[in-house]
Amino acid sequence: MTTQLSRTRNQNPDLDLSIQRIIHATKQAIWEAWTTPDQLAQWWIPAPLSLRVDSLELAPGGAFVTRMSEDGTEWHPHVDAVFLVIEEGSRLVFTNAVSSSWHPSLPDPVAMTTEIILGDHPDGTDYRAIVRHGSPEQRARHEELGFFDGWGTVTDQLAAAVE
Amino acid sequence: MVKYSDELDAMFSALADPTRRSVIARLGRGPASVGELAEPLSISLPSFMKHVRSLESCGLIRTEKSGRVRTCVLNQDRFHLLSGWLEEQRRIWERATDRLEQFVTTGSVDSDGPTPTKEES
Repeated sequence: MTTQLSRTRNQNPDLDLSIQRIIHATKQAIWEAWTTPDQLAQWWIPAPLSLRVDSLELAPGGAFVTRMSEDGTEWHPHVDAVFLVIEEGSRLVFTNAVSSSWHPSLPDPVAMTTEIILGDHPDGTDYRAIVRHGSPEQRARHEELGFFDGWGTVTDQLAAAVE
Repeated sequence: MVKYSDELDAMFSALADPTRRSVIARLGRGPASVGELAEPLSISLPSFMKHVRSLESCGLIRTEKSGRVRTCVLNQDRFHLLSGWLEEQRRIWERATDRLEQFVTTGSVDSDGPTPTKEES
């Protein structure tokens, strides 16, 4: 069923980013690097920051919560998200637009949906990461309801201001 | 990244107000005094100063006082931070993918990472 849930064509080049790379490792190795807490903690964020995985429930609606620390003692929020799609060994999607407790949220600075796709390739794995970002306009509108008259106006003014 | 997010938050909040956007638009034509900026707006000077402080505290403008006149200037660096945000996200993801690739091909990530930077998280 979930294999039919493809949103890869619905991308907004102004707000979304897409990374594609051939990685010389098996799909299984990459899947485990993403989904095993001990492994994820080793590569996701760069040293000297350290990552702690509090929840990684591999199921649609499952919690995905990580924290980060500069000194290993004080831990700050990093990701508080839910999984939307889990296709064992080949695809995972999570978003922080909904928190791990299923409360709609307005994360800093904008909400994003991250999709990781692992495809077969003769040299290893065809790795893709697609990150869809909410627009700053949404956030500003929520924060300043009634005061905001369109992000387009702001960007036009910014462009005019800096040119 | 936490600090970076806070900075963006402050800027988005500051820009989510029509009075403050009109100030930014005016300053795009060049520096102006607080009095000049407040004149076309039908609000009191103390109210207007709150807007000026909001823009100044998030770094979008700088102000300098000379005698009794406070002059406001647009801080162009901050606009580059705003417009560069998505590009920065791309760099963060490229580097994360570098580390993932190193991790799954060698079994570990160098302690300093393939291409470390202090601002990503």
